[in-house]
Order: sequence, then C-alpha cells, then structure tokens
Amino acid sequence: MCSVMNQPISKHIFRAYDIRGLYNKDISPDIFYKIGLAAGTYVKNTMHGTHICIGGDIRQSSQSLAHAMIAGVTATGVNIHHAGTTSFGQTLFAGGELKADLIAFVTASHLPPEWNGVKFYYGDGVGFPEEHLMNIRDLVLQDSFPFASWDRIGQVTPVDATNGYKNFFVSRFQFKKKLSVALDCGGASMTLSAPEIFASLGFRVVPVFCEPDPTFSKRPSDPKPKNLTALVEAIKKYDCDFGVAFDGDGDRAVIVDNTGQILSADQTGIIIGTYGLKQKKGTIIVNVECSKSVKEQLEPFGYHVKQIQVGHTFLTLEAKQTQALLGIESSGHLIIPEYFLFDDALVVPLKIAQILDQVKRPFHDLVMETPSYPTRKEEIECADDIKFDVIRKLQGVLSQEYEQVNTMDGVRVDFKDGWVLIRASNTSPIIRLTTEADTPALLQGLSARFLEKTQEIIQQMKATH
Amino acid sequence: MTQLFGTNGIRGVVNQDMNSSLALGIGQAWGTYLKKTVPRPRCAIGTDARLSNHMLKSAVSAGLLSTGCDVVDVGLVPTPTLQYTVKEKRFDAGVIITASHNPPQFNGIKGIANDGTELMKDVEEAIEQIYFSGSFALSDWKNAGSFTIWDGARELYINGILSQVDVPSIKKHRFHVVLDCGNGAGSLVVPVLLKKLGCIITEMNCEPDGTFPGRHSEPIPENLTMLMKKVSETHASFGVGLDGDADRVIFIDERGSYIWGDKSLSLVGDYITKKKNGGVTVTPVTTSTCFEDVIRKNNGSVIYTKVGSPIVAAVMKKNHAVFGGEENGGLIFPEFQHCRDSAMSLATVLEILATEQRSLSELITEIPSYEMVKTKIVCPNDQKEQVMHLLVEEMKHHQEIIDIDRTDGLKMYMKDGWVLMRPSGTEPIFRVYVEAKEKQQAERGALFYKNLVASLMQRG
Repeated sequence: MCSVMNQPISKHIFRAYDIRGLYNKDISPDIFYKIGLAAGTYVKNTMHGTHICIGGDIRQSSQSLAHAMIAGVTATGVNIHHAGTTSFGQTLFAGGELKADLIAFVTASHLPPEWNGVKFYYGDGVGFPEEHLMNIRDLVLQDSFPFASWDRIGQVTPVDATNGYKNFFVSRFQFKKKLSVALDCGGASMTLSAPEIFASLGFRVVPVFCEPDPTFSKRPSDPKPKNLTALVEAIKKYDCDFGVAFDGDGDRAVIVDNTGQILSADQTGIIIGTYGLKQKKGTIIVNVECSKSVKEQLEPFGYHVKQIQVGHTFLTLEAKQTQALLGIESSGHLIIPEYFLFDDALVVPLKIAQILDQVKRPFHDLVMETPSYPTRKEEIECADDIKFDVIRKLQGVLSQEYEQVNTMDGVRVDFKDGWVLIRASNTSPIIRLTTEADTPALLQGLSARFLEKTQEIIQQMKATH
Repeated sequence: MTQLFGTNGIRGVVNQDMNSSLALGIGQAWGTYLKKTVPRPRCAIGTDARLSNHMLKSAVSAGLLSTGCDVVDVGLVPTPTLQYTVKEKRFDAGVIITASHNPPQFNGIKGIANDGTELMKDVEEAIEQIYFSGSFALSDWKNAGSFTIWDGARELYINGILSQVDVPSIKKHRFHVVLDCGNGAGSLVVPVLLKKLGCIITEMNCEPDGTFPGRHSEPIPENLTMLMKKVSETHASFGVGLDGDADRVIFIDERGSYIWGDKSLSLVGDYITKKKNGGVTVTPVTTSTCFEDVIRKNNGSVIYTKVGSPIVAAVMKKNHAVFGGEENGGLIFPEFQHCRDSAMSLATVLEILATEQRSLSELITEIPSYEMVKTKIVCPNDQKEQVMHLLVEEMKHHQEIIDIDRTDGLKMYMKDGWVLMRPSGTEPIFRVYVEAKEKQQAERGALFYKNLVASLMQRG
C-alpha cells in the first residue's frame, strides 16, 4: 500500500447517487485518478471482480477525467473496457454485454457544461446505492491503495459502444408506419446514438440540435419546458407525430405530443402503462413525488402501483426485486425493464412510437385522456443543521394527526382528493413541499395548511437548538 | 541537471518510481510548458508493448488534456514511428511510453519535440521545474483537450521508408531475413515493411508481449544466441535483432555472427558518404575509429559529440550532416528523420546488399578492425569532478599523447589507438574505454587506466 499526494478533496463532491463538481475546481484529473484507484480497489477487494466498463458523455472535460480514472483503475490491477465518448445508454449497454463488474459513466447529467462527475452502476444496470458510493468516498479520503505489481497492471480494451446498442434496438423494434419524430439532442451525448438509430428504424427524423456541441452552446442540457421552444416549433412546423428531448447524458427523455404539448414523466408513464405493456398485471413503481393520477389510471387495469423513495438507484433496485414492468421517477427518469433496468433515455420515445404505430388516433388524443391535476412546489428556507430534524419531527406529528401517512422518504400525507410531500433537500438548506389536489381551490388550502405547519416546526426547532 | 529525466526520458519500475501519479503530473507539466508557446497544442502519444502502457498512456493523456492540449493516440508503435508521425503530421509534441531495452518491470516516458527529435535537456529541465513547482496551467472546462485515436501512423511510417530506398532493386533479390522483434514495438511494423520489400521472413518473437517471453529486449550478443543459430540453420541472407522500442537494430551476418554496432554504423556510413562523395557525419566520442576511417576514405568528415542520441541528432541537424549514429545500433538518417531508426537502418542495409551484390559478412570484413575494451570503476558522484581534474593534470606529462578531446570526459589519442575516461551521467561510476589495434594492448591499457582512476580516488 502506498498513498498519493495531491490537491485536497472536498467531501461535498460525493452525493447520494453520484460524484459531481465544477471541472478543474472541485473535481480534476488528480481527483479522478484517486476515484479510479478507489473504484479499482472496491472492485478488486470488495467485489472480487476484474473489469470496469468506462465511458464518458460528450462534455468537453469528460475525456480528461475518464483517462485519469483509467490510470487509477489500471494501477490497482483491474482491467478497463473503454467505451469512449458515448451516450449513457451506450456505455451501460456495453458494460452489460461484457458482464463488467462495475460501470462508470463520466457525466454531470443535465447540469451546465462547466460541471462534470461520475455515476456508477453494477453490470446488470442497477445503480450504485448510496452506501456503496460512500465506500468509494471513504477509500478516496483514506488515500491508501493496493497498487498492483508491474505484471498485474490492468489492461485497457477499446469497446465499440455504437453498433451493439444500435443493433439491439433494430432487433427489438419494428414499425409498420413511417412515423415522423422531432429529435432534440441539445447537442449533447444523444447526438451519438439517437439520430442514427431512429433513421435505421425507418423514421422520418427532424433534427433539432443534433450536431455534437460539447459546450452546450445551443440549448441548456436540462430538458425542462422553457428550454424546449425550438423542439415545439419544429414539431408544429414539420407536422411531426411526436417529439423528444434528451438531457446531457441520455438518462432522461421528455416527450412532446404532435401539437407541441410537453408531457410530464407521469403522463408519459401512464400512456406507456395504458397502451404499451403486453400484460396488464404486475408491478409499476413510482416514487413518492409522482402524481396520484398514475395509480388512479393504471391500477384499474390490474397493475400494482408501488410507491418508493426518490432516487434512480432505488428505482432500478426495486424494479429488479419486484420484476416490475415500468418505473417512473417524476424528475423524468423512466425505466422499462423488458429492455433495460437502467434509465436509458432512448427506450422511452421508441416505446411511445410503438404505441403510435399501433393506435389509430393522433398522439394528442391519448394525452388528453390522461388527467393531470394541479400541483404546486414550495421551497422553505431551513438551515442545514436542523432540516432533517424538522422532517423527523413532522413525521412524528403528522403520523398522529392523519391516517394515511408515508414516511419512507420525508413525509407524505394522502387524502381522498390530494396529497402533500415534505422533504429536505440533500444539497441545499431547503425544505421542499409538493402538493397535488383535484382542484386549484383544494390545492391552495392544502399547500397553505402544511406550509404553516412546517414553518411552525422550524420555529420550534430553531428555539430549542 | 535533471532529476527525473535521464539520458532517455524518465524511467523507473512500474507502480514504484514510475507510476500514474508521476505520469499525470508530467503530462500536466508538459502541457503547461507547451501552452506557453502554442495556444492549443496537438500531441501524438504512442507506446511500446509493455504491460503498463495503457495505464501510463491514460495518465499522461489526462494530464495533457487537463491543460488544454489535444491528444491523438497512435497506439502501439516503434519510437521512430511516433517521431516520424510528429514531424510529418505537424504535431506540437510527441510522447512515447517506453523503457526501450530495459527489463519488463520498467517503463518510461520520453518526450518528442515538434520536429520529431528527442527533447533536449533544457526543455526537460523546464518541464521538471514546472512539475516540481506543481503550478500547472489547468484549462477551464470549455478548453479541456480532445482525445482521438488515429490508426494510420504505422502505414505513414512504412510508406515513408519505402520512399527512401530503391524498392525494385531490393525486391529483385528476394532476401531471406530472420527477424527477431524481441516481442517489442517493432512487431507490428517491421514484418510489414519486409514484406513490402519482397523479403522472405523467418519471424522470431514477432508478437507484441510485455512480459518479453522470447528474450531480454537489449540486443546484446547473449540475448541474440537463438537468432544467430536460426540464421545459420536457415541459410538466410542475414538476421536482425531489435530492441524493445525498435529504435536500435543489430545485424547478424549470413554465417550467424553478431555484427557490432560500430561495424554496421560504418557499413552504412561508408555507403552514404560514397554515394554523396563525402559529407559531414556525427557520432559520439565512444565510437570506434573504424567509422572515421571509412568516412575519411570517402572525403567525408566526422564530428564527435557527447554520448546520447538526442545530442547526436541535434549536432547533425545543425551541421547538415548526411549520416550519424551511435555504436549501439542506433543509426540516424537525416534525409528521413533526425532520430535512431531500426526499420530505416534495415531498409538501407537491404539496399546496400542489393547494390553491392555481396554477402553481409564480406562487406563487414572490408571495414577496418580495432579492438575495444570497455570497463568501469565505482566512483561516488561527489568525487567525479576531483578525479577528472587530477586525471587531466596527470596526463599533461604523458609523452605518448598526440591529441586530447574534452567533448565528453577525457579522450586521448595515441599513435595506435585512443583512451576515453568519462564519469557516467546517471550512475556513480567512471567509464574507461580503450581502443587499439591489438586486443592485448587494449586490455593492458584498460587495466592501467582503471588502476589510475582508483589511485587518483585514493589521493583525492
């Protein structure tokens, strides 16, 4: 064992599900070299494995970080399958095919281009749970690694991440109609896969920001509604059957209908559950933030809708354990395990296209049939040192006051005509309050009542602290 | 004086003194250095066949990328292939991950300047200074470098060599060559070149393998015994042994005899100066007089330099030399490029055989023969200067000395030979070289001067 000296590492780059920071500020090749050493050590000593598959998104800084990580992994004697610059799904697919022990994808997902980071998955597509990521963090901070001898240094094998991934989709999807799709890759990683795959499957493709643009100069990489005006215009102008926008790395897809209406992840999930799954029994997973409409719409078909805590890791893990058919994260991650356990963004629009290929009505008609209720999100300032105590207190108090209380992630209270969810932000001194109700008036009342309740608890906590 | 860079780049035992952390830092220091003169440098990176290559290549690349240099990976290549690529494709720098002929547990990092030559000492010093200061010009996120793979370097290099020699004339002879690549970087290039030159090839150790299962990678006689045997068994035209990164080459004549490096240097030097009716040639002070003999015969001249191929290459460039090289099988062909080049040497020897229409052993016999004895004596680094001073004083009164050359150490020419005494730049030793017409004479001289150094150390 010997240690390596370099710049101090902030604990804050290690978050619940990934590592993130500003390039050459919070994270750097020096730090990624150590993360590589730690990941290699974890694979070798804890998993008794031999291979890590690594890829990076299209961000300008991804290659320098990926190479530094490779230098660390190989130094511990663990081998690398190097997928290079890819979309999220391409690297995850390659890692799965090659039965890698661990998959590392260098990305900061939808964050602006000055950010970068890395996400870990197991070879089967299950996300790295927080406690395992913290094992990696501890190894990094401990700074003591089992370096391999010269004849046991890890080897790097380049992997073709493009063709296998494409062939998978070509073999799994066939279409009778020539559908037209507006593709908004935002100049990001999905430019490397989506346009070619849609074209191979016989679509008429209207490209929107489909040229690689590693600095995201044309469109921010977060596909939130206000960033999708060009896509909406293209759908209308070219009379597309539907449109899709991807985030920076390709683990989230936002679907837009033929009239330019942007769907929420819940709506997309409801449409897939209603029209897109072969069997109408089994588990559909939603997190505590998802709309009540998912349960209302899908359970009558015979599905069991199971609520879990927020986080794509829990989604993939739960999907594996319950052999779920569909998983929905309100933030936009969807999984359809008949294809992949991981949240590949390309599966979602193809599933939608499969539905449109079968139904005789335009997409907008289907969207109009999925109800959407008014929702509201509030942010309440609350110091980091008390925010979790506030939530714990609320869990206790509200459990006594109300019947339907769920405390798996923050506290959620369900009513006949609405619900409220109160959670502490993991990253900021904020408590988030989400409400959904049947009518705007009900929503207003519900929101006000729990806002007041939360404020009250915060004041109490401040006083006793 | 550099601490990390030796005569051939930075070398060390893998995951001990040669590790990813060092390689990453060197990449960052180098990138910082390059960025001082070029806004967005382009660097080519390649490796020999060692097991730690991917690791070190990734580390150096990460360092270069993080300072805003673009990196092009040319893969597993001989050092001269990387050098040729840097020059021809106008890269701003080149990096080769290699420990040349060292044992397999070693690896190294060698720098190439934008003209394809090895980095000079002042540049290495500047890079080291940046490395030790730890202040690197890391780029912002927008300007991080791009990494791409280019597979064309080997073909570019092979075609470059083919353009330098008389291919039809070589092809006509269908030479039979026993080729021993020592499982090194030459494996992917030299067999292809020989095929294109119409040769029949008997391959030995021509699979790249970082454990070097076939033989040690230094092409000295004891490592080439199998090759020598194979040449005589197969009645081949000649044999060729390469070192680990294929910049040096040793020839075996058709009878299976080892040809020392100064003989092959002289053979090629003779051919080139004859063709050009003279010209300047360059070689270190350690080279046998046989080289000067053949060059002078053709109206050429010899410039002697300090030991080290980067110096030879630099002096050649400055003096528009027609040829140069070292006595260890490192031959430099300036019309092609200013670096040691085994494949170019091989192609040229094939052309010589095709032109002269005689066997290699016959051609070698015509080169004047001297006997050289090399020996060394342990001498602490802090005593070297004092010993050198005393030696110079002592020799002032020596009657037999005709001429003195202080290019590197102390070289004294006598009536029938020369003596060279030089402190090693890397190890705590004093080297003694004696060349004479007769073996006994050389051996006597070596013993005498070794003892002299020993007694001067006592006195100091």
